[in-house]
Amino acid sequence: MNTGKKIGAGLLSAALVLGVVGCGNNEDKETNTTSKGTDTTTNSPDTSSSTTEKVKITYSMWGSAEEGSVTQKVADKFNASQDKIEVEVVSIPWESYMTKLNTQATGGQLPDTGMLKEDGVIQWSSEGMLNDVSAMYEGSDSKPLDSLAYKYQGKTVAYAAANEILLLYYNKDMFDKAGVAYPPSVLDKAWTWDEFVAAAKKLTNDKNGKHPGDDGFDANGIVQYGASVENLPWQLETWTLSNGGGFYSADGTDVRVGEDASIEAIQKVADLYLKDHVAPLSVGQTDDGIQRTIIAGTVAMATNGAWNVGTSLNTAKDEGLKYGVAVLPYMKDKVTLNTGGANVVFSQTKHPKEAMEWLKWYNSEENNWGLISSGIWMPTLQKWYTDEALTHKWVDNPNFPPYEEYKSAVVDYAQSSAARPASWFFTNYTTDFNTLLGSVLGDVWTGKTTAKDAITKNLDALKAAHTGNK
Amino acid sequence: METINKPLKRRSRYNSSEARVAYICLIPAFLGLFFLTYAPLVGVLGISLTNWTGLKSPEFIGFDNYVQLFTKDPYIKDSIIATIYFAFLSVIGSMVYSFFIAMLLNRKIPARGFLRAVFYVPFVLPAAAIYVGWSWLYEANFGFFNFLLSKVGLNKVLFIADSSYVVPSLSLISVWLSGNLIVIFLAGLQNVPSVYHEAAEVDGAGGWKRFIHITLPSMSPIIFYNLLMSLIANLQVVTPALALTNGGPGNSSRFLTYLMYDQAFVNYKLGYACATTFVIFAILAVFTALLFKTSNRWIYNEGGDDK
Repeated sequence: MNTGKKIGAGLLSAALVLGVVGCGNNEDKETNTTSKGTDTTTNSPDTSSSTTEKVKITYSMWGSAEEGSVTQKVADKFNASQDKIEVEVVSIPWESYMTKLNTQATGGQLPDTGMLKEDGVIQWSSEGMLNDVSAMYEGSDSKPLDSLAYKYQGKTVAYAAANEILLLYYNKDMFDKAGVAYPPSVLDKAWTWDEFVAAAKKLTNDKNGKHPGDDGFDANGIVQYGASVENLPWQLETWTLSNGGGFYSADGTDVRVGEDASIEAIQKVADLYLKDHVAPLSVGQTDDGIQRTIIAGTVAMATNGAWNVGTSLNTAKDEGLKYGVAVLPYMKDKVTLNTGGANVVFSQTKHPKEAMEWLKWYNSEENNWGLISSGIWMPTLQKWYTDEALTHKWVDNPNFPPYEEYKSAVVDYAQSSAARPASWFFTNYTTDFNTLLGSVLGDVWTGKTTAKDAITKNLDALKAAHTGNK
Repeated sequence: METINKPLKRRSRYNSSEARVAYICLIPAFLGLFFLTYAPLVGVLGISLTNWTGLKSPEFIGFDNYVQLFTKDPYIKDSIIATIYFAFLSVIGSMVYSFFIAMLLNRKIPARGFLRAVFYVPFVLPAAAIYVGWSWLYEANFGFFNFLLSKVGLNKVLFIADSSYVVPSLSLISVWLSGNLIVIFLAGLQNVPSVYHEAAEVDGAGGWKRFIHITLPSMSPIIFYNLLMSLIANLQVVTPALALTNGGPGNSSRFLTYLMYDQAFVNYKLGYACATTFVIFAILAVFTALLFKTSNRWIYNEGGDDK
């Protein structure tokens, strides 16, 4: 009897230990190795022809298992097209992507190559985790746009997997109704900040149909706002640059957000709500600017990234929204930021050449056509912007606003001198800095304090954040 | 002799074997507690003494993380204040609210079962859905509350977009969510001996007097339990910051657990985040200890004071 009980208890504790181990295993299964099912179909004919062993590399991406298997199908094409490299795609859910990579890095088990979040690239480079990929496009007919190279200490450590720029979206019906001319899609005709505010005032109505500045205008009873400028910290950099300031010096070493020009720019954005009464209040708590404004049908113009065309505006268009795209207004210099998550080669890889070859092949637009043709991604290679035939192939489809409009407000804009890389392309600790800046500005948007006071008071902390508080 | 001894002996054998079985059965629980609670706790303490980022192998840096946390960190002070402020409002609010509701639901009112469910439902709804709903109510420009305010001609209130209103607004949600406390209070109320009430009524004590002198003392152990649970839960608040405010505006809702999450999983300063964890742990310990220290002064034990 006793022994029986002992065995029972032993089994129980064994089950518990196994349970713990089992958890560990499950976690591994979360990363979906999607090649297994497809391997046999694509490779069995191959193995007979190629006698030499293929170099196996893994590519990690964020996304669901389904997205992973879509990418694996693309990789299978690559695997079948040559007999040197075999790519296996590993998909990891977005929420746990960077955590997972961190864990793998600690264990020396990183994939050979993979995607990396924008703000992680320079940090990982500074810790020696990424390879120099300058040689990737040597001898190619087209390179990615210059503004899409991540640079650490002068070396190119990654290219963006996609391009994105910041735009001005607007609701055409609201403009027609107010009899205001559409914002310009051509860079040369871009609105100045004052023209932008003036138009926004005409588009802002209280419940009696009065505009800001009219006698008896009721700022508390606004039913339609004229404009909303996204005030997430990383997007705010646009306006500081446009006003002749910036967050950092051009090489990313010094903090410039304390300069008058930078502070003035941020205050101007806040004043859209506080003084001009043309913008709804937003304190940067959520990242859904276009849904809250253009799609909700409460705001006539709103700034945000090009991805919104594919991620949300497409659906709204099907439901009757008539929207247009335009270039951003400007303060002193015409500026838009471009960005895009990175494709990197990890320094732990034993096959850097093969990894680069795969990335170069994979990064060609044909392989990401779903994302590009839906408007979520913009191509990275220059030829799509310069060769009109290719531009047509990309933009001339019903997912986009009218061709001429998008071509000028997005395609031409993205390769103009106005397009500058977001600071995480060359600066470390942008997350630390942006988080702190966002917190510092919290009371500026509601007018409890001014941008001048808030930033001046916290400038030392901001400078410390820029160096990672070291 | 033998006949007397035998049962005694048997009992002691029975006891020792029972004890052995008890120990053996406790092993899984103990292993779980040790490997899943105490070992990680020691691990966290160890990591908090390093500069581990997850990428490079960690270096031992002594108490640097703690020193930095209290001398240079731009968030920690605001964070501690916000957390304690939130916990204070939420604990007091939800205790008073749930006790009140429990008293009402304990009366013989129509549709009592239905109403009990109604007040419990918020507690079992998925958090994400709740917070999306409340974000529409609180929205500063076109939110439902502001719509109502403008209908009666009042100025807009910015709720979670205003650094002075955000913590009270979030506390209100947490009060609304306290259905679990109501259930426990209800169970307690049903155990208050009705003979006391009847006796007091005979002596001419009114409702309020009976509440103060009978209901409250009889409920004090339950109140203590709810207070403790509510305090611990609210000091570890993180969901509203993640779902609604991102810690803002400013640092006004940057609760400690959210700060720790940010350090660990946004900035990947794992050593630093572990140091913050210990600060949270210390605060929790202090408040819990305070509560226990004062508890025997106001808890009424039916069985007398058997400390």
